[in-house]
Amino acid sequence: MKPLTRSTLEGICSQMASHDWSQAELDELVDPRLGIITGFQDLLDELETLRKIDLGTTAPALGVQKR
Amino acid sequence: MERLRQRWGYKKDNGMTTEIAFADIRSLRGLIRADRITPGELVSVFAERIAAHNAVSRAFITQTPQEAARSAAALTKEDILRSPVAGIPYASKDLFDVEGVRTTAGSRVFHDRIATEDAFVIARLRSAGALSMGKTNLHEFAYGATGENEVYGTCVNAYDPTRLAGGSSSGSAAAVAFGLVPAALGTDTGGSVRAPAALNGLVGLKPTIGCVPTHGVVPYCWTLDHVGILTRTVADCADILGLVARYDSRDPASVKLPKEDYSESLGEDISGVRIGIPSNFFFERSDPQILSALERVKDHLAEKGARLVPVTFPDMRHTRTVSLTVQMPEALSAHSAHLENRGELYSKEFRAGLALGQCLLAEHYVKAKRFIETYRQQTNALFEDVDVILTPATPEIAQKVGTVKTTRDGVDEAVGNAITRFTTFFNMTGHPALTMPCGLHPEGLPIGLQLVGRYFDEKSLFRVAHEIEKCGKFSIPLPEVDT
Repeated sequence: MKPLTRSTLEGICSQMASHDWSQAELDELVDPRLGIITGFQDLLDELETLRKIDLGTTAPALGVQKR
Repeated sequence: MERLRQRWGYKKDNGMTTEIAFADIRSLRGLIRADRITPGELVSVFAERIAAHNAVSRAFITQTPQEAARSAAALTKEDILRSPVAGIPYASKDLFDVEGVRTTAGSRVFHDRIATEDAFVIARLRSAGALSMGKTNLHEFAYGATGENEVYGTCVNAYDPTRLAGGSSSGSAAAVAFGLVPAALGTDTGGSVRAPAALNGLVGLKPTIGCVPTHGVVPYCWTLDHVGILTRTVADCADILGLVARYDSRDPASVKLPKEDYSESLGEDISGVRIGIPSNFFFERSDPQILSALERVKDHLAEKGARLVPVTFPDMRHTRTVSLTVQMPEALSAHSAHLENRGELYSKEFRAGLALGQCLLAEHYVKAKRFIETYRQQTNALFEDVDVILTPATPEIAQKVGTVKTTRDGVDEAVGNAITRFTTFFNMTGHPALTMPCGLHPEGLPIGLQLVGRYFDEKSLFRVAHEIEKCGKFSIPLPEVDT
Protein backbone atom coordinates (compact mmCIF):
# COMPACT_ATOMS: atom_id res chain seq x y z
CA MET A 1 0.00 0.00 0.00
CA LYS A 2 1.43 3.38 -1.01
CA PRO A 3 1.76 6.13 1.61
CA LEU A 4 -1.19 8.46 1.87
CA THR A 5 -0.83 11.81 0.12
CA ARG A 6 -2.65 15.09 0.58
CA SER A 7 -4.03 14.95 -2.94
CA THR A 8 -5.81 11.70 -2.05
CA LEU A 9 -7.45 13.34 0.95
CA GLU A 10 -8.29 16.44 -1.08
CA GLY A 11 -9.94 14.15 -3.62
CA ILE A 12 -11.98 12.44 -0.92
CA CYS A 13 -13.07 15.77 0.50
CA SER A 14 -13.98 17.31 -2.85
CA GLN A 15 -15.39 14.26 -4.62
CA MET A 16 -17.19 12.50 -1.76
CA ALA A 17 -19.52 13.82 0.92
CA SER A 18 -17.30 15.35 3.57
CA HIS A 19 -17.08 18.10 6.12
CA ASP A 20 -14.88 21.06 5.35
CA TRP A 21 -11.35 20.41 6.53
CA SER A 22 -8.68 23.05 6.19
CA GLN A 23 -5.48 22.47 4.26
CA ALA A 24 -3.61 22.52 7.57
CA GLU A 25 -5.83 19.76 8.96
CA LEU A 26 -5.26 17.58 5.91
CA ASP A 27 -1.55 18.34 6.03
CA GLU A 28 -1.49 17.23 9.66
CA LEU A 29 -2.95 13.84 8.71
CA VAL A 30 -0.40 13.07 6.01
CA ASP A 31 2.61 14.87 7.47
CA PRO A 32 2.16 15.53 11.19
CA ARG A 33 4.07 18.59 12.32
CA LEU A 34 1.93 20.10 15.06
CA GLY A 35 1.82 16.96 17.19
CA ILE A 36 -1.98 16.95 17.18
CA ILE A 37 -2.29 13.71 15.25
CA THR A 38 0.63 11.36 15.24
CA GLY A 39 0.92 8.28 13.18
CA PHE A 40 -2.15 8.35 10.93
CA GLN A 41 -0.08 6.52 8.34
CA ASP A 42 0.91 4.00 11.04
CA LEU A 43 -2.75 3.59 11.90
CA LEU A 44 -3.62 2.92 8.26
CA ASP A 45 -0.78 0.42 7.99
CA GLU A 46 -2.00 -1.39 11.09
CA LEU A 47 -5.57 -1.35 9.79
CA GLU A 48 -4.32 -2.96 6.60
CA THR A 49 -2.80 -5.72 8.73
CA LEU A 50 -6.10 -6.16 10.56
CA ARG A 51 -8.06 -6.14 7.30
CA LYS A 52 -6.13 -9.19 6.17
CA ILE A 53 -6.90 -11.19 9.30
CA ASP A 54 -9.79 -13.52 8.56
CA LEU A 55 -12.39 -13.39 11.33
CA GLY A 56 -14.61 -15.96 9.63
CA THR A 57 -18.28 -15.25 10.22
CA THR A 58 -17.79 -13.21 13.40
CA ALA A 59 -20.42 -10.47 13.45
CA PRO A 60 -19.73 -6.92 14.65
CA ALA A 61 -20.16 -6.40 18.39
CA LEU A 62 -23.69 -5.46 19.45
CA GLY A 63 -25.22 -5.47 22.94
CA VAL A 64 -24.26 -7.80 25.78
CA GLN A 65 -26.40 -10.13 27.86
CA LYS A 66 -25.98 -11.71 31.26
CA ARG A 67 -24.07 -14.96 31.05
CA MET B 1 -22.59 27.60 59.94
CA GLU B 2 -22.52 28.96 63.51
CA ARG B 3 -24.91 26.22 64.60
CA LEU B 4 -22.54 23.73 63.00
CA ARG B 5 -19.54 25.14 64.81
CA GLN B 6 -21.32 24.92 68.15
CA ARG B 7 -22.65 21.46 67.51
CA TRP B 8 -19.39 20.04 66.27
CA GLY B 9 -17.32 21.81 68.89
CA TYR B 10 -14.60 22.95 66.54
CA LYS B 11 -12.81 26.22 67.03
CA LYS B 12 -11.73 26.62 63.44
CA ASP B 13 -13.75 26.31 60.28
CA ASN B 14 -11.06 24.21 58.69
CA GLY B 15 -11.25 21.44 61.27
CA MET B 16 -14.98 21.14 61.06
CA THR B 17 -15.33 21.36 57.33
CA THR B 18 -12.39 19.09 56.63
CA GLU B 19 -13.92 16.28 58.66
CA ILE B 20 -17.21 16.64 56.81
CA ALA B 21 -15.63 17.25 53.43
CA PHE B 22 -13.66 14.03 53.42
CA ALA B 23 -16.38 11.88 54.98
CA ASP B 24 -17.93 9.14 52.85
CA ILE B 25 -21.64 9.17 51.97
CA ARG B 26 -22.60 6.54 54.54
CA SER B 27 -21.00 8.61 57.31
CA LEU B 28 -22.73 11.78 56.14
CA ARG B 29 -26.01 9.90 55.94
CA GLY B 30 -25.51 8.81 59.55
CA LEU B 31 -24.93 12.41 60.61
CA ILE B 32 -28.06 13.59 58.82
CA ARG B 33 -30.23 10.82 60.26
CA ALA B 34 -28.85 11.50 63.75
CA ASP B 35 -29.74 15.17 63.25
CA ARG B 36 -26.13 16.23 63.74
CA ILE B 37 -26.19 18.07 60.45
CA THR B 38 -28.89 19.04 57.98
CA PRO B 39 -28.73 18.65 54.19
CA GLY B 40 -28.81 22.45 53.92
CA GLU B 41 -25.78 22.73 56.20
CA LEU B 42 -23.97 20.12 54.14
CA VAL B 43 -24.64 22.16 51.02
CA SER B 44 -23.18 25.23 52.79
CA VAL B 45 -20.03 23.37 53.80
CA PHE B 46 -19.38 22.02 50.32
CA ALA B 47 -20.30 25.31 48.63
CA GLU B 48 -17.72 27.10 50.79
CA ARG B 49 -15.12 24.52 49.90
CA ILE B 50 -15.85 24.76 46.19
CA ALA B 51 -15.48 28.53 46.42
CA ALA B 52 -12.17 28.11 48.25
CA HIS B 53 -10.62 25.38 46.11
CA ASN B 54 -12.00 25.72 42.60
CA ALA B 55 -9.41 28.24 41.46
CA VAL B 56 -6.67 25.66 42.07
CA SER B 57 -8.47 22.40 41.37
CA ARG B 58 -10.45 23.68 38.33
CA ALA B 59 -12.93 20.94 39.21
CA PHE B 60 -16.18 22.79 38.47
CA ILE B 61 -17.29 24.49 35.26
CA THR B 62 -20.72 25.41 36.65
CA GLN B 63 -21.63 25.62 40.34
CA THR B 64 -25.26 25.28 41.43
CA PRO B 65 -25.27 25.55 45.25
CA GLN B 66 -28.43 27.69 45.32
CA GLU B 67 -30.41 25.02 43.48
CA ALA B 68 -28.92 22.40 45.80
CA ALA B 69 -29.93 24.45 48.86
CA ARG B 70 -33.50 24.76 47.55
CA SER B 71 -33.70 21.01 46.99
CA ALA B 72 -32.23 20.40 50.44
CA ALA B 73 -34.86 22.60 52.06
CA ALA B 74 -37.62 20.63 50.38
CA LEU B 75 -36.51 17.27 51.78
CA THR B 76 -38.74 15.75 54.46
CA LYS B 77 -37.80 13.35 57.27
CA GLU B 78 -39.41 10.58 55.24
CA ASP B 79 -37.28 11.48 52.22
CA ILE B 80 -34.15 11.25 54.36
CA LEU B 81 -35.05 7.78 55.57
CA ARG B 82 -36.15 6.28 52.27
CA SER B 83 -32.96 6.76 50.25
CA PRO B 84 -29.24 6.19 50.80
CA VAL B 85 -28.36 9.50 49.12
CA ALA B 86 -31.12 11.83 50.33
CA GLY B 87 -29.55 15.12 51.37
CA ILE B 88 -26.14 14.15 49.98
CA PRO B 89 -24.37 16.64 47.66
CA TYR B 90 -22.78 15.31 44.47
CA ALA B 91 -21.47 16.58 41.13
CA SER B 92 -21.68 15.36 37.54
CA LYS B 93 -19.32 15.61 34.61
CA ASP B 94 -20.41 18.38 32.30
CA LEU B 95 -21.70 15.89 29.74
CA PHE B 96 -24.75 15.00 31.86
CA ASP B 97 -27.85 17.09 31.27
CA VAL B 98 -29.28 18.69 34.40
CA GLU B 99 -32.55 20.46 33.64
CA GLY B 100 -32.14 24.24 33.46
CA VAL B 101 -28.34 24.08 33.72
CA ARG B 102 -25.77 24.56 30.97
CA THR B 103 -24.11 21.42 29.56
CA THR B 104 -20.85 22.66 28.03
CA ALA B 105 -19.14 19.31 27.39
CA GLY B 106 -16.01 21.29 28.20
CA SER B 107 -16.23 23.01 24.82
CA ARG B 108 -16.92 26.42 23.32
CA VAL B 109 -19.26 24.62 20.95
CA PHE B 110 -21.82 24.08 23.74
CA HIS B 111 -21.19 27.34 25.62
CA ASP B 112 -24.90 28.23 25.39
CA ARG B 113 -26.52 24.78 25.57
CA ILE B 114 -29.07 24.71 28.41
CA ALA B 115 -30.49 21.27 29.21
CA THR B 116 -34.26 21.00 28.96
CA GLU B 117 -34.51 17.75 30.93
CA ASP B 118 -32.43 15.63 33.27
CA ALA B 119 -30.27 12.79 32.00
CA PHE B 120 -31.61 9.41 33.15
CA VAL B 121 -29.12 9.05 35.98
CA ILE B 122 -29.54 12.65 37.11
CA ALA B 123 -33.30 12.11 37.30
CA ARG B 124 -32.74 8.94 39.34
CA LEU B 125 -30.49 10.76 41.80
CA ARG B 126 -32.83 13.75 41.96
CA SER B 127 -35.77 11.53 42.84
CA ALA B 128 -33.61 9.85 45.49
CA GLY B 129 -32.98 13.23 47.12
CA ALA B 130 -29.33 13.72 46.11
CA LEU B 131 -28.27 17.36 45.70
CA SER B 132 -26.48 18.45 42.52
CA MET B 133 -23.75 20.97 43.36
CA GLY B 134 -22.76 21.54 39.76
CA LYS B 135 -21.07 20.34 36.63
CA THR B 136 -17.46 19.26 36.50
CA ASN B 137 -14.62 19.92 34.12
CA LEU B 138 -13.38 17.47 31.49
CA HIS B 139 -11.26 16.98 28.42
CA GLU B 140 -13.28 18.61 25.61
CA PHE B 141 -16.11 16.22 24.66
CA ALA B 142 -14.25 13.49 26.62
CA TYR B 143 -11.68 13.28 23.82
CA GLY B 144 -8.52 12.65 25.81
CA ALA B 145 -7.26 11.17 29.07
CA THR B 146 -5.18 14.00 30.48
CA GLY B 147 -8.05 16.34 31.31
CA GLU B 148 -6.27 19.29 29.73
CA ASN B 149 -8.81 21.90 28.67
CA GLU B 150 -7.88 25.18 27.02
CA VAL B 151 -11.27 26.77 27.74
CA TYR B 152 -12.00 25.81 31.34
CA GLY B 153 -8.49 25.09 32.61
CA THR B 154 -6.74 21.87 33.50
CA CYS B 155 -7.71 19.99 36.66
CA VAL B 156 -4.83 19.20 38.97
CA ASN B 157 -4.17 16.32 41.32
CA ALA B 158 -5.20 16.77 44.95
CA TYR B 159 -2.02 15.01 46.11
CA ASP B 160 0.25 17.30 44.11
CA PRO B 161 -1.16 20.29 42.23
CA THR B 162 1.76 20.22 39.79
CA ARG B 163 0.40 16.88 38.53
CA LEU B 164 -2.56 15.99 36.33
CA ALA B 165 -5.82 14.79 37.81
CA GLY B 166 -6.17 12.63 34.68
CA GLY B 167 -9.24 12.42 32.52
CA SER B 168 -11.38 12.68 30.78
CA SER B 169 -13.55 12.89 33.95
CA SER B 170 -10.87 15.13 35.45
CA GLY B 171 -13.22 17.49 37.26
CA SER B 172 -15.26 14.68 38.81
CA ALA B 173 -12.09 13.11 40.21
CA ALA B 174 -10.70 16.44 41.40
CA ALA B 175 -14.03 17.41 42.99
CA VAL B 176 -14.10 14.29 45.17
CA ALA B 177 -10.34 14.24 45.84
CA PHE B 178 -10.28 17.91 46.95
CA GLY B 179 -13.23 17.27 49.29
CA LEU B 180 -15.67 19.41 47.29
CA VAL B 181 -18.32 16.67 47.06
CA PRO B 182 -18.43 13.12 48.42
CA ALA B 183 -19.30 11.54 45.05
CA ALA B 184 -19.46 12.36 41.37
CA LEU B 185 -20.66 10.95 38.08
CA GLY B 186 -18.35 10.58 35.10
CA THR B 187 -18.24 8.86 31.75
CA ASP B 188 -15.80 6.17 30.72
CA THR B 189 -15.03 5.45 27.05
CA GLY B 190 -11.50 4.16 27.54
CA GLY B 191 -10.89 4.54 31.26
CA SER B 192 -12.08 8.09 31.82
CA VAL B 193 -13.61 7.28 35.21
CA ARG B 194 -11.31 4.52 36.39
CA ALA B 195 -7.98 6.13 35.53
CA PRO B 196 -8.57 9.54 37.17
CA ALA B 197 -10.13 7.78 40.16
CA ALA B 198 -6.96 5.70 40.52
CA LEU B 199 -4.64 8.67 40.08
CA ASN B 200 -6.52 10.55 42.83
CA GLY B 201 -6.92 7.75 45.38
CA LEU B 202 -10.66 7.18 44.79
CA VAL B 203 -12.97 4.33 43.92
CA GLY B 204 -14.04 4.44 40.25
CA LEU B 205 -16.55 2.12 38.64
CA LYS B 206 -17.37 1.46 35.02
CA PRO B 207 -20.39 -0.85 35.22
CA THR B 208 -21.23 -3.45 32.58
CA ILE B 209 -22.22 -1.85 29.30
CA GLY B 210 -26.00 -1.54 29.28
CA CYS B 211 -26.25 -1.57 33.08
CA VAL B 212 -26.60 2.21 33.53
CA PRO B 213 -28.46 4.13 30.80
CA THR B 214 -26.63 6.88 28.92
CA HIS B 215 -29.72 8.84 27.87
CA GLY B 216 -29.15 12.57 28.38
CA VAL B 217 -25.37 12.27 28.33
CA VAL B 218 -23.55 13.99 25.44
CA PRO B 219 -22.24 11.06 23.39
CA TYR B 220 -18.67 10.59 22.27
CA CYS B 221 -18.68 7.00 21.03
CA TRP B 222 -21.88 4.99 21.47
CA THR B 223 -20.12 1.63 21.26
CA LEU B 224 -17.72 2.40 24.10
CA ASP B 225 -19.38 5.06 26.26
CA HIS B 226 -20.32 4.04 29.81
CA VAL B 227 -21.70 6.08 32.71
CA GLY B 228 -19.43 5.69 35.75
CA ILE B 229 -19.27 6.55 39.45
CA LEU B 230 -16.48 8.06 41.59
CA THR B 231 -16.65 7.79 45.38
CA ARG B 232 -14.46 7.57 48.47
CA THR B 233 -15.52 4.06 49.42
CA VAL B 234 -16.64 0.83 47.84
CA ALA B 235 -19.90 0.84 49.81
CA ASP B 236 -20.82 4.32 48.54
CA CYS B 237 -20.19 3.15 45.00
CA ALA B 238 -22.43 0.11 45.51
CA ASP B 239 -25.19 2.27 46.98
CA ILE B 240 -25.17 4.69 44.04
CA LEU B 241 -25.08 1.89 41.48
CA GLY B 242 -28.16 0.44 43.15
CA LEU B 243 -29.99 3.67 42.38
CA VAL B 244 -28.91 4.24 38.78
CA ALA B 245 -28.73 0.70 37.37
CA ARG B 246 -32.09 0.47 35.62
CA TYR B 247 -33.54 -0.20 32.17
CA ASP B 248 -34.25 2.76 29.89
CA SER B 249 -35.85 2.16 26.50
CA ARG B 250 -34.27 5.39 25.16
CA ASP B 251 -30.81 3.80 25.39
CA PRO B 252 -30.43 1.03 22.75
CA ALA B 253 -27.70 -0.65 24.83
CA SER B 254 -29.78 -0.70 28.02
CA VAL B 255 -30.46 -4.20 29.38
CA LYS B 256 -33.54 -5.26 31.37
CA LEU B 257 -32.35 -6.86 34.57
CA PRO B 258 -33.91 -7.54 37.96
CA LYS B 259 -33.28 -4.83 40.57
CA GLU B 260 -30.10 -5.60 42.50
CA ASP B 261 -28.94 -4.76 46.01
CA TYR B 262 -25.26 -4.28 45.22
CA SER B 263 -24.34 -3.72 48.85
CA GLU B 264 -25.40 -7.29 49.67
CA SER B 265 -21.96 -8.66 48.89
CA LEU B 266 -20.06 -6.16 51.03
CA GLY B 267 -18.31 -7.94 53.87
CA GLU B 268 -18.75 -11.40 52.36
CA ASP B 269 -15.83 -13.74 52.87
CA ILE B 270 -13.66 -14.04 49.74
CA SER B 271 -12.45 -17.54 50.56
CA GLY B 272 -12.61 -19.65 47.41
CA VAL B 273 -13.04 -16.70 45.06
CA ARG B 274 -10.97 -17.35 41.93
CA ILE B 275 -8.94 -14.28 41.01
CA GLY B 276 -7.37 -14.18 37.58
CA ILE B 277 -3.86 -12.77 37.32
CA PRO B 278 -2.99 -11.85 33.73
CA SER B 279 0.25 -13.39 32.52
CA ASN B 280 0.51 -10.99 29.59
CA PHE B 281 0.14 -7.27 28.91
CA PHE B 282 -1.27 -6.00 32.23
CA PHE B 283 1.81 -6.39 34.40
CA GLU B 284 4.25 -5.28 31.72
CA ARG B 285 6.08 -1.96 31.20
CA SER B 286 4.89 -0.46 34.48
CA ASP B 287 6.33 1.53 37.38
CA PRO B 288 8.00 -1.07 39.67
CA GLN B 289 6.37 0.55 42.72
CA ILE B 290 2.95 -0.09 41.19
CA LEU B 291 3.84 -3.72 40.51
CA SER B 292 5.10 -4.12 44.10
CA ALA B 293 1.84 -2.73 45.45
CA LEU B 294 -0.09 -5.23 43.34
CA GLU B 295 2.08 -8.06 44.67
CA ARG B 296 1.10 -7.07 48.22
CA VAL B 297 -2.57 -7.11 47.23
CA LYS B 298 -2.18 -10.57 45.68
CA ASP B 299 -0.54 -11.84 48.87
CA HIS B 300 -3.37 -10.46 50.97
CA LEU B 301 -6.08 -11.98 48.80
CA ALA B 302 -4.33 -15.35 48.93
CA GLU B 303 -4.06 -15.07 52.74
CA LYS B 304 -7.81 -14.53 52.85
CA GLY B 305 -8.41 -17.76 50.95
CA ALA B 306 -8.84 -16.47 47.40
CA ARG B 307 -7.33 -18.63 44.68
CA LEU B 308 -4.96 -16.84 42.32
CA VAL B 309 -5.28 -18.27 38.83
CA PRO B 310 -3.06 -17.25 35.89
CA VAL B 311 -5.01 -16.09 32.84
CA THR B 312 -3.81 -15.15 29.38
CA PHE B 313 -5.52 -12.37 27.48
CA PRO B 314 -5.88 -12.44 23.70
CA ASP B 315 -3.32 -10.71 21.52
CA MET B 316 -3.48 -7.11 22.78
CA ARG B 317 -1.21 -5.53 20.15
CA HIS B 318 -4.00 -4.01 18.10
CA THR B 319 -6.46 -3.05 20.82
CA ARG B 320 -5.76 0.69 20.76
CA THR B 321 -6.05 0.77 16.98
CA VAL B 322 -9.33 -1.10 17.17
CA SER B 323 -10.65 1.29 19.81
CA LEU B 324 -9.60 4.42 17.88
CA THR B 325 -11.09 3.07 14.67
CA VAL B 326 -14.46 2.80 16.34
CA GLN B 327 -14.16 6.04 18.32
CA MET B 328 -13.38 8.57 15.65
CA PRO B 329 -16.02 7.75 13.01
CA GLU B 330 -18.67 7.54 15.77
CA ALA B 331 -17.50 10.86 17.23
CA LEU B 332 -17.60 12.41 13.76
CA SER B 333 -21.13 11.16 13.25
CA ALA B 334 -22.19 12.46 16.68
CA HIS B 335 -20.72 15.88 15.92
CA SER B 336 -21.72 16.14 12.27
CA ALA B 337 -24.40 18.81 12.69
CA HIS B 338 -22.30 20.89 15.08
CA LEU B 339 -19.32 20.75 12.73
CA GLU B 340 -21.49 22.25 10.02
CA ASN B 341 -22.85 25.01 12.22
CA ARG B 342 -20.10 25.73 14.74
CA GLY B 343 -17.04 24.01 13.37
CA GLU B 344 -14.77 26.93 14.19
CA LEU B 345 -15.54 26.62 17.91
CA TYR B 346 -13.94 23.18 18.28
CA SER B 347 -10.39 22.89 19.58
CA LYS B 348 -7.70 22.08 17.03
CA GLU B 349 -7.06 18.81 18.84
CA PHE B 350 -10.63 17.55 18.58
CA ARG B 351 -11.06 18.72 14.98
CA ALA B 352 -7.93 16.76 14.07
CA GLY B 353 -9.44 13.63 15.61
CA LEU B 354 -12.69 14.16 13.73
CA ALA B 355 -10.79 14.67 10.47
CA LEU B 356 -9.12 11.34 11.09
CA GLY B 357 -12.56 9.81 11.56
CA GLN B 358 -13.53 11.21 8.16
CA CYS B 359 -10.65 9.42 6.45
CA LEU B 360 -11.19 5.91 7.79
CA LEU B 361 -13.05 3.48 5.58
CA ALA B 362 -16.33 1.81 6.43
CA GLU B 363 -14.58 -1.55 6.13
CA HIS B 364 -12.08 -0.46 8.77
CA TYR B 365 -14.89 0.48 11.14
CA VAL B 366 -16.80 -2.78 10.65
CA LYS B 367 -13.64 -4.84 10.98
CA ALA B 368 -12.83 -3.07 14.23
CA LYS B 369 -16.28 -3.88 15.58
CA ARG B 370 -15.80 -7.51 14.59
CA PHE B 371 -12.50 -7.51 16.50
CA ILE B 372 -14.39 -6.18 19.49
CA GLU B 373 -16.71 -9.16 19.27
CA THR B 374 -13.72 -11.52 19.29
CA TYR B 375 -12.31 -9.68 22.34
CA ARG B 376 -15.65 -10.17 24.09
CA GLN B 377 -15.77 -13.88 23.32
CA GLN B 378 -12.15 -14.41 24.37
CA THR B 379 -12.60 -12.47 27.61
CA ASN B 380 -15.83 -14.31 28.42
CA ALA B 381 -13.89 -17.55 28.01
CA LEU B 382 -11.45 -16.40 30.71
CA PHE B 383 -14.36 -16.05 33.12
CA GLU B 384 -15.05 -19.78 32.79
CA ASP B 385 -12.07 -20.28 35.09
CA VAL B 386 -12.08 -17.18 37.29
CA ASP B 387 -14.58 -14.93 39.06
CA VAL B 388 -12.65 -11.67 39.02
CA ILE B 389 -9.49 -10.47 37.25
CA LEU B 390 -6.92 -8.25 38.99
CA THR B 391 -4.69 -5.76 37.15
CA PRO B 392 -2.96 -2.48 37.94
CA ALA B 393 -5.28 0.46 37.19
CA THR B 394 -2.57 2.43 35.40
CA PRO B 395 1.06 1.67 34.54
CA GLU B 396 2.20 5.09 35.81
CA ILE B 397 1.27 7.44 38.65
CA ALA B 398 -0.14 10.91 37.90
CA GLN B 399 2.22 12.80 35.58
CA LYS B 400 3.25 16.45 35.72
CA VAL B 401 0.90 18.93 34.03
CA GLY B 402 2.19 19.50 30.51
CA THR B 403 3.81 16.09 30.16
CA VAL B 404 3.51 14.89 26.57
CA LYS B 405 4.92 11.39 26.80
CA THR B 406 6.14 8.85 29.30
CA THR B 407 9.09 6.54 28.79
CA ARG B 408 9.18 3.12 30.42
CA ASP B 409 11.65 0.36 29.62
CA GLY B 410 12.89 2.39 26.66
CA VAL B 411 9.45 2.71 25.09
CA ASP B 412 7.88 6.16 24.56
CA GLU B 413 4.13 6.47 24.94
CA ALA B 414 1.78 9.45 24.73
CA VAL B 415 0.77 10.27 28.30
CA GLY B 416 -2.95 9.85 27.54
CA ASN B 417 -2.30 6.40 26.11
CA ALA B 418 -0.24 5.43 29.14
CA ILE B 419 -2.94 6.58 31.57
CA THR B 420 -5.56 4.35 29.90
CA ARG B 421 -3.38 1.46 28.73
CA PHE B 422 -4.92 -1.04 31.17
CA THR B 423 -8.50 0.26 31.10
CA THR B 424 -9.38 0.75 27.40
CA PHE B 425 -9.79 -2.94 26.62
CA PHE B 426 -12.76 -3.36 28.97
CA ASN B 427 -14.72 -0.58 27.27
CA MET B 428 -14.57 -2.71 24.16
CA THR B 429 -15.52 -5.93 25.91
CA GLY B 430 -18.09 -4.15 28.11
CA HIS B 431 -17.14 -6.05 31.28
CA PRO B 432 -17.59 -4.24 34.60
CA ALA B 433 -14.36 -2.84 36.03
CA LEU B 434 -13.57 -1.03 39.28
CA THR B 435 -10.43 0.82 40.30
CA MET B 436 -9.44 1.67 43.85
CA PRO B 437 -6.38 2.79 45.79
CA CYS B 438 -3.92 0.15 46.99
CA GLY B 439 -0.96 2.16 48.19
CA LEU B 440 0.99 5.38 48.11
CA HIS B 441 3.95 5.76 45.76
CA PRO B 442 7.22 7.07 47.30
CA GLU B 443 6.54 10.25 45.30
CA GLY B 444 3.43 10.77 47.43
CA LEU B 445 0.85 9.86 44.80
CA PRO B 446 -1.84 7.17 44.86
CA ILE B 447 -1.36 3.77 43.27
CA GLY B 448 -4.50 2.04 41.99
CA LEU B 449 -5.61 -1.48 41.14
CA GLN B 450 -8.35 -2.63 38.79
CA LEU B 451 -10.83 -5.49 39.30
CA VAL B 452 -12.77 -6.82 36.31
CA GLY B 453 -15.80 -9.09 36.48
CA ARG B 454 -18.31 -11.04 34.44
CA TYR B 455 -21.12 -9.22 32.71
CA PHE B 456 -23.53 -7.76 35.28
CA ASP B 457 -21.59 -9.28 38.18
CA GLU B 458 -20.63 -6.00 39.82
CA LYS B 459 -21.34 -7.69 43.17
CA SER B 460 -18.21 -9.82 42.89
CA LEU B 461 -16.15 -6.69 42.25
CA PHE B 462 -17.62 -5.04 45.34
CA ARG B 463 -17.04 -8.18 47.41
CA VAL B 464 -13.32 -8.35 46.61
CA ALA B 465 -12.84 -4.56 46.61
CA HIS B 466 -14.46 -4.27 50.02
CA GLU B 467 -12.12 -6.89 51.44
CA ILE B 468 -9.11 -4.93 50.15
CA GLU B 469 -10.53 -1.69 51.54
CA LYS B 470 -11.65 -2.91 54.95
CA CYS B 471 -8.41 -4.71 55.85
CA GLY B 472 -6.77 -1.28 56.12
CA LYS B 473 -3.41 -2.46 54.76
CA PHE B 474 -3.86 -0.52 51.52
CA SER B 475 -5.43 2.67 52.83
CA ILE B 476 -3.76 5.91 51.84
CA PRO B 477 -3.70 9.25 53.69
CA LEU B 478 -5.99 12.05 52.60
CA PRO B 479 -4.45 14.74 50.41
CA GLU B 480 -3.32 17.83 52.30
CA VAL B 481 -5.39 20.35 50.40
CA ASP B 482 -6.33 22.49 53.40
CA THR B 483 -2.87 23.30 54.73
